[in-house]
Amino acid sequence: MIAALRPDRTTIIRTICAREWREAAGNRLLVAMTLLPPVVILLAGIGAVGAAAIYPPSERDVQALYAASPAMRGLDPTEAVQGIIATYFLILFMLIPTVVPLTVAIYSVIGEKSARTLEPLLATPAGVGELLFAKSLASTVPAVLVTWIAYVVYLVSVRAVGSQSAVNAVTAPRWILAIIVLVPLLTLLSVNLGIFISTRVNDVRVAQQIGGLVVVPVVGLGIAQVTGRVVLDDSAFVQTALFLIVLDVVVFYLARLAFQRENILVRWR
Amino acid sequence: MLADVGIILRAQGLTKRFGALTAVDGLDLEVREGEVFGFLGPNGAGKTTTLRLLCALIAPTAGTADVAGARLGRDDARIRATVGILTEQPGLYERQSASENLRFFAALYGLPRRAAQEQTDRYLRLMGLWDRRDEAVATFSRGMKQKVAIARAALHEPRIVFLDEPTTGLDPDAAKTVREFIGQIRSEGRTVFLCTHNLDEADRLCDRIAFFRRKVLRLDTPASLRSELYGQATEFRLVPRPREEDLVRVRAIDGVRSAVAEDGAIVVSSDDPLRTNPRVIRALVEGGADLAYVTERRVPLEDVYLRIVEGVQ
Repeated sequence: MIAALRPDRTTIIRTICAREWREAAGNRLLVAMTLLPPVVILLAGIGAVGAAAIYPPSERDVQALYAASPAMRGLDPTEAVQGIIATYFLILFMLIPTVVPLTVAIYSVIGEKSARTLEPLLATPAGVGELLFAKSLASTVPAVLVTWIAYVVYLVSVRAVGSQSAVNAVTAPRWILAIIVLVPLLTLLSVNLGIFISTRVNDVRVAQQIGGLVVVPVVGLGIAQVTGRVVLDDSAFVQTALFLIVLDVVVFYLARLAFQRENILVRWR
Repeated sequence: MLADVGIILRAQGLTKRFGALTAVDGLDLEVREGEVFGFLGPNGAGKTTTLRLLCALIAPTAGTADVAGARLGRDDARIRATVGILTEQPGLYERQSASENLRFFAALYGLPRRAAQEQTDRYLRLMGLWDRRDEAVATFSRGMKQKVAIARAALHEPRIVFLDEPTTGLDPDAAKTVREFIGQIRSEGRTVFLCTHNLDEADRLCDRIAFFRRKVLRLDTPASLRSELYGQATEFRLVPRPREEDLVRVRAIDGVRSAVAEDGAIVVSSDDPLRTNPRVIRALVEGGADLAYVTERRVPLEDVYLRIVEGVQ
């Protein structure tokens, strides 16, 4: 006779993550939908830096640039423009961790709902908190890795097609802080928002449309930065990181509230 | 803890309300270790809710239960580790193979890697799915998926297996495999809690049956339920056909509850056929009737069900 036991938390989380990843990897559409946005964003960023080298700015643009960024004075105009583009591209780059995990997170709950696999899963000794955490982790880890890989690709590309000032911009403390701290925080926010939305709707497309709103603050911040209404200095990044930590906790708590065993079995349709 | 040896499940006043709706109303129930226990009731009677309560999937509004030595509400994770459940829908990961599905659940039930593989292989063979173990479940028929789901419910060797409509929608061959599997679980001394609409199946498989509609209406062995409601009926076929005087003679016999003519036979109902039937035979032969054969007539469980659950007389 086999003696079934409650497995330890690590085993439960590892087992669920492995299954989620196997499931996602076997779904070509899901993989394509997940990888397309970072590829497009990356190509746009590399293309912008490259274009600045091919099409030098006019004298008028250069003067406006020096006025906006006095630190650039003295640099070759092309180098200065590339440096500015690389700096501003950071905000656009932050779209990757918000967009990439959303589809996987939404699919991981709605997929289980439509396949009716949640009840057998909830009938195991695994706790709902472990289940939610594992699902969250399974969506977060690949998204963070994809973003970090995209960063490395961007850095190598900028080094190849851009100037030293562009490289300096991409390796500035602000970029490094964003990549190490903001990327995981934004990813977690997107994942838990996706999971929370998925508990309320049954259609992947509807969930994606609602979840897509997560990019609005990032895009808004980018526009505000480009139009000069907001200056994203190092202090602003630290404040953003703190705000995201609070937001992550709130959204995870909301997802945890919605992700109750009885709710899932009785109320979810 | 359960005080009585041999009782694996005891519910006391188990109640579940969803707002104004009372799905389960003060359920009192005892299930013995090693028996196949039938849980029968109409749609919406609260059977699935009861299963979910007993498997610690949802919390009761009132009352409690001891399941395999663990107390509901206090040892829920232990209950879930000790029981197995087949849900209404197979609920399998369709892109993954039968083998992958089973290994995944084996790991969640805490089986070490090697034991998980051995149990997966064992149950795939038992269910006749060995040759297709590595194929995606999406390519399986409904019956094959149901077999995988049943294997999943049993692969961690739970002391009690809850099966919700295990043969619904299956072809006769697959249904037979499932019934044989239930028999095997019982032969291993494990308990099966069987929710079914298939009364013939319940009659064949179950040691005891509970008729349920929000609460247990009646609980006993199928034979006792029949006997209690209808007595035990025997068919005495006469050639060319029964005469009125044969009926009069039979009805006069001590122990005969009723005797009616039906399709060329006299159907005799009595509480103790072993004592009554020889007297009936003797009386008919002495009265000059030509007795062709005598057979036991089983009242369909459906009649018992309708009388208890629906109040049909």
